[in-house]
Amino acid sequence: MGSGRWSTNVYDAAARFRAATGASAFAYSDGGATGVHPALDPFGVTVRESRDSAEHPRSLAIAVLFDVTGSMRDVPRVLQAKLPQLLGLLLRKGYVADPQIMFGAIGDATCDRAPLQIGQFESDNRMDDDLGRILLEGGGGGQKTEPYELALYFMARHTAIDCYEKRGRRGCLFVIGDEMAYPQLKPAEVRDVIGDGLQGGVPVASLVAEVTARWDTYYILPAGASYVGDRQVLGFWRDLLGQNVIQLADLDAVCETIALTVGLGEDAINLDAGLTDLDDVGSAAGPTVSRALAAIGSGRRVLELAPPDMAVLDAAGLDATGPDAAGPEDLDGPGGNVRL
Amino acid sequence: MDGRHYIVCGMGFGDEGKGSVVDFLCSPGRPDPARTVIRFNGGAQAAHNVLTADGRHHTFAQFGSGSFTPGVRTHLPRFVLVDPLALAAEAGRLAAVGVPDALDRLTVDRDALLVTPYHQAANRAREAARGRDRHGSCGMGIGETARYALAWPGDAPRVADCAAPRALARSLGLLRDRLCDELGPLGGPSVDLLCDAYRAFADRVPLVDGGYLRRLLRAGPTVFEGAQGVLLDEWRGFHPYTTWSTTTFANAETLLAEAGETAVRLGVVRCYLTRHGPGPFVTEDPTLELPEPHNGTGTWQGAFRTGHPDAVALRYAAEVAGGVDGVALTHLDVAARHRLRLCRAYRTGGRTLSRIEPGPGHDLSWQERLTGTLLRARPVYEDPVGGDPAGGDPGRDWPGLFEDMLGAPVMLRSYGPTAAGKRGLQVTGRRARVAGATVAAAAASSG
Repeated sequence: MGSGRWSTNVYDAAARFRAATGASAFAYSDGGATGVHPALDPFGVTVRESRDSAEHPRSLAIAVLFDVTGSMRDVPRVLQAKLPQLLGLLLRKGYVADPQIMFGAIGDATCDRAPLQIGQFESDNRMDDDLGRILLEGGGGGQKTEPYELALYFMARHTAIDCYEKRGRRGCLFVIGDEMAYPQLKPAEVRDVIGDGLQGGVPVASLVAEVTARWDTYYILPAGASYVGDRQVLGFWRDLLGQNVIQLADLDAVCETIALTVGLGEDAINLDAGLTDLDDVGSAAGPTVSRALAAIGSGRRVLELAPPDMAVLDAAGLDATGPDAAGPEDLDGPGGNVRL
Repeated sequence: MDGRHYIVCGMGFGDEGKGSVVDFLCSPGRPDPARTVIRFNGGAQAAHNVLTADGRHHTFAQFGSGSFTPGVRTHLPRFVLVDPLALAAEAGRLAAVGVPDALDRLTVDRDALLVTPYHQAANRAREAARGRDRHGSCGMGIGETARYALAWPGDAPRVADCAAPRALARSLGLLRDRLCDELGPLGGPSVDLLCDAYRAFADRVPLVDGGYLRRLLRAGPTVFEGAQGVLLDEWRGFHPYTTWSTTTFANAETLLAEAGETAVRLGVVRCYLTRHGPGPFVTEDPTLELPEPHNGTGTWQGAFRTGHPDAVALRYAAEVAGGVDGVALTHLDVAARHRLRLCRAYRTGGRTLSRIEPGPGHDLSWQERLTGTLLRARPVYEDPVGGDPAGGDPGRDWPGLFEDMLGAPVMLRSYGPTAAGKRGLQVTGRRARVAGATVAAAAASSG
């Protein structure tokens, strides 16, 4: 309850009023901004903190960083409009008592104006303010590679989260994108973007190991992006994150997917209960989320209850009936992701 | 219909069925139906349920409950507290149930007060601080908006400010600072973001001056849709379990008088009594298990409560509302299937009370004493007449009993949630006079 929560979203309202007049809800980007908003600039930041408070005594840090380069096409705009619903969804369903959410964005380190944008952890809709300040880039491209390693470095070295420090509970990090990271973190970029002096390059696999010590890390490859279903991209992230690679066939279900993933990690629900919850709140996202989370959710279920081929059967059945099968990778079924 | 304007007002604690009555008055199946719904009190905390014949449902908050009928407009005059963010959200929900153009059918008076997320945060902070002594607020910021406008009449953000960004930023900044000074950090979106959304609202929805309503009333029949019920009125309800709004016919009559028009005063009642949240409810009976598809326990309002018909409270409501011309009696289908008892008097402190004496008006200490009396009162029931006491009482003449309680003819009877379940008010060719005798004759001939 109380100060931190709201029922009506200011972005949704502005977007709806403007729907007929054609103006954009993303005024910071569309207003001619050419650089990172000061509030989101990672340069010189010591740590972004997610802390417990009297009002939110059991904070859980949740970070959502999305690729805003050209390969993502319209996806970042949809995310800017959808993500404000995430907090409400987590709270309504009771998946997390005190979520603290941070939004951020990943651009192109070589030619973009904003290689990394990082908001604050917030328990209320001030996080929407950060979302609206994200500069949508549109640069990059061609290499099937973006500097995700910069974001991973920031999350590994420049965050401080009470859920882990006080309770040993890892935070939840979601990276939404459609490309690979560079194999090695470049000291010059770290110096330019974050301000740290590094002695040498860091392999991305070491960064992932560092991040995942404190963050349950998921990579979401959404429909609508250029490299949806791309085997090379999916393979790259599966090598690093195992089953925590999620293909999202319907971008409208992004909040539900994140919320359910968090809920599964909190052991607040199992996948079936979560899908029932989605029905209860009137969400039509059930089939999409079910498919996206088949690996994670049924992996869990396999461990607990079912014979090992269950996950593959379930996922195949869903894929066969889904109206919007995303790409060639889907033919394999997410069974290939299950880490057992 | 009959070319007349109607004022629809709940005679209880809300949830009387006003939404379905307004929907019926606008329904295209009737001759000369109302073309515009005019709200005249409260704001987005209203929750008026309408179910269409083809099974669509919407809980109307700020849009008029006639909106399912294509072309029916909504006007929000200066007495309404306007929440643009909630309007956008409601327009979205309406689009999902087949009403895609709700925003295009809306006009708003420039003098109306704005309800902002800061008011809402303050509202909830105060209500939470009351703990178990909660007043049954909806947490929608209505009371906080009224309170702030009383304290700072010149600074309170109004609808007209939405089109004046600098004035708006100033008034919103002042509001946020003052509330945070009083209550501590409240959160909510930044002033800049809020200004941006309100600007979009002003660009989209026609903002009109007070003279617009006169033209609207000249253009054709309208319905004034009241929110909540007379027993929750800020001055006549049982203080402090009231709302910050005038829930009688008064605001609507003021607007009509300014335009030189008159209207039929229609009091809506269920065959039984309900109440959302805490406060006096003499005939409450938790063992009554009546169907209630759209009302649950609200986070801020508390539980939905049900009780037997209460002649004492209803008479009081009619009296303080200044009388009604006609009654719209709803939930007759429920009354036919359940054993309802009729309370004609209260026992309190060894006395029997058959009438609640209205105070002098604008006297909250009187109202508070009344609340104390009612909280101690016990109902005196008249035994049910006929029927099967364990099952229902289909033979009982509920319309006759309610005509007696409210001193006016039952003009509309409702046996179900949709317009098809309504009987009455079908008369055509009658003139627009509103005198009680005329209305009674019309009702009688409508059979």
